[in-house]
Amino acid sequence: MKKQYIILLIVAGLLSLFAACKKEATYRTLIITGQNNHKWKESSPILKTILDETGLFTCDIAISPEKGGDMNKFNPDFSRYKLVVLDYNGESWSEKTKTAFVNYVSSGGGVVIYHASDNSFPNWKEYNEICGLGGWGNRNEKSGPYIYYKRNELITDTSAGIAGYHNKRHEYEVRIRNTAHPITKGLPVRWMHGNDELYSKLRGPEKNMEILATAYSDTAGKGTGRDEPLLMTIKYGNGRIFHTAMGHADSLGGPAMHCAGFIVTLQRGAEWAVTGNVTQAMPFDFPNAAGVVLRPDFKAPTLNDDITNIVNYDLGKSTKYYTDFQANIRKASGDSLKLLTYEKMMVDILKNPKASVEAKKLMLRELSWMGSGYCVPVVKELVSNADLKDEADFALARLQPTK
Amino acid sequence: MASKSSRRDFVKRSATAIAGAFVLPNIIPSSALGLGGKTPPSNRIVMGQIGTGSQGTSNMRDFIKLKDQVQFVALCDVDAKRLAATKEMVAKTNNNKNCRTYGDFREFLEKEKLDAVSIALPDHWHGIIYTETVNKKVDVYGEKPICRTINDGKVIVSAVKKNNIIWQTGSWQRSQENFHRGAELVINGRVGKIKLIEIGLPDGSRGIGTPPVQEVPKELNWEMWLGPSLKVPFRGVYHWDWRWILDYSGGQLTDWAGHHIDIANWGAGLEHTGPFEITGEGFYPNEGIFNVPVEYDILCKYANGIEMRVANASRYPMGMGTTWYGDLGWLHVDRGGKISASDPKILEEKIGDKEIHLYKSENHWQNFIDSVRSRKPAIAPIEVAFRAISVALLGEIAMTTGQKIKWDPEKEEIIGNPVASRLLSRPYRKPWTLPTV
Repeated sequence: MKKQYIILLIVAGLLSLFAACKKEATYRTLIITGQNNHKWKESSPILKTILDETGLFTCDIAISPEKGGDMNKFNPDFSRYKLVVLDYNGESWSEKTKTAFVNYVSSGGGVVIYHASDNSFPNWKEYNEICGLGGWGNRNEKSGPYIYYKRNELITDTSAGIAGYHNKRHEYEVRIRNTAHPITKGLPVRWMHGNDELYSKLRGPEKNMEILATAYSDTAGKGTGRDEPLLMTIKYGNGRIFHTAMGHADSLGGPAMHCAGFIVTLQRGAEWAVTGNVTQAMPFDFPNAAGVVLRPDFKAPTLNDDITNIVNYDLGKSTKYYTDFQANIRKASGDSLKLLTYEKMMVDILKNPKASVEAKKLMLRELSWMGSGYCVPVVKELVSNADLKDEADFALARLQPTK
Repeated sequence: MASKSSRRDFVKRSATAIAGAFVLPNIIPSSALGLGGKTPPSNRIVMGQIGTGSQGTSNMRDFIKLKDQVQFVALCDVDAKRLAATKEMVAKTNNNKNCRTYGDFREFLEKEKLDAVSIALPDHWHGIIYTETVNKKVDVYGEKPICRTINDGKVIVSAVKKNNIIWQTGSWQRSQENFHRGAELVINGRVGKIKLIEIGLPDGSRGIGTPPVQEVPKELNWEMWLGPSLKVPFRGVYHWDWRWILDYSGGQLTDWAGHHIDIANWGAGLEHTGPFEITGEGFYPNEGIFNVPVEYDILCKYANGIEMRVANASRYPMGMGTTWYGDLGWLHVDRGGKISASDPKILEEKIGDKEIHLYKSENHWQNFIDSVRSRKPAIAPIEVAFRAISVALLGEIAMTTGQKIKWDPEKEEIIGNPVASRLLSRPYRKPWTLPTV
């Protein structure tokens, strides 16, 4: 009986080794920065970290001359890249560079427009078409209509007025408007975003543009009373553009950039811009309407993180590693080898004298439904443990029901 | 002290009390003497209430509104403050200053001899208290969802049947004109043969993190509040907010199953059956004490080809409510009297004499009282309520396990999946056990 579980666990271990050895070619990516009214020295390396973490991209960072510098010297070779990420809001590029960029996009290059990059180049027609929408820089009704939602209705508003506005930074709820698009497919339709600027009153040519997500700019907080577009896709020639108006950089990135929702939509949007498809699995820590989820190091928790933190779980501490672990279990449904490895991790916690009582309670609840015969002896032992008796009884009632 | 009471006892007692309190007989309320066209007290249904929270007292007010048809004489709650406030309400609005109060439902059921009991409790208590009450052969107005687990529900249903009592589920939408009309049009084929039903229920709630452990307020019997569910420290989260915690509820999905899923079943003729296959995806809070899914999307397949999708309203263009899609069109109903159809003419259709006429009630609480008197079934009987909540509970199992669940709607068992089958029950913490019928 026991032997059988041990053999299965060895097999599971080998399989995960194989999976780890798999390597894929990456998309060469250029992040352009160097001038911005935002903290580009914070944001650009973070964008690189976020994209590199997927294993899909290898990012270079191109830094433009400083403001007032010789822009003729700024000639990135776009043709070497599959993706160009703009973290740039500054002086006009040389005509040569502008032409090269437009050619890059129209011939099928992928682009990510990030946050204040949609403020840049108000008078460059092609760039504004690439962004779809923009703000500030004296943009107005000549730049194109305002576009937003009123409840479920998409409004194209040609009235006169300035472009670009945001109220005081706050946490806000993002609403997915297109659940079928590869970037947003499988996401919860409502999710909380970390403290950020809520870009509003954007306007632009909005050609070949699709709005993927909006957020309500609340009049109570001096907002516009509109559901403002925040995630967009645009097609320009053969090129695909993902535009995220989110992610205002504070020092060290701040909550807007640490938000798992910002990170994941950026990663997915970037892949879509390159290939028109998204192969990345949905991470388990994606936020929903229950609350903001921040990633301290921009990375999703790993199983290892989960287990380490569950061992030390105690009343009042974060439950996020437990919920992440639960999601792993759910996702492994049907894969008995994987489930057995997870079960072993939980049994190890039950046996670990350093693991907290509260951690063990959580494990017993989880094992109650997903455990196999493997966990039963350990669970039975815990019936005599005064702190864990109720939970052990609970688990056994399900694992070994009396007829 | 609490004396056993019956309708007759109450009349005697209140007459004495009133006679004692007022010297002049001409100020005795006429209702107490059965004058002025009002219901004589001897014909009033003598009721008790278990659970005096927001829904419990809301139901009481609806019963009391039925002008002298109902007399509350006993209340039960684990929160002494609520008990006192509700006793006060009965004194003010139901003409009884001497409502008896209990902190333990066992004592309540032992001592009280009532015509009917209204029950509104967190779901984790339904299995025990519904069954014990029904076993006393008292008629019950019970809140939906009727059970926290399918196994609890089976026991409750068989208890109601065996004891042959009148049961009304708090699925009050059945007694609303638009829902009745919509269901009746649909069951008579006005949108054709039904292919798909979409049911939009509320989205989940914002989390509150994990509030610190705190001292239990002295009016609250926390141990009794928890009852059969696992012991957890008190964090000030109990009244109302229990619905966001899986130990006590399945969230909006199970809370609302008894409304829009129930209505969907009514119109589609699925009241006495269930799906054969269920899949579902849930989005759970990442953090904190609230752990019910904030978004959920469940798809059920029925033997007659109907598919039923149950999801939080934000996932549909149509939002909240029930939409039946047939091969001739669609029809949508929701709260606020809403009813609409693919072709407005559908809504003008008359239902012929020989067509199906669904049970008609204009007031859900009156309907229960009428049934208590007539002994005819009420509009929302237990087995129908069980079919509605079963859909949500099976969806919950599909979401928890990440598996496609195969269900036998006749035997009401999960097929070939012992792991998922474990989730058909939540083991009770000792010494509590699910009563036998």
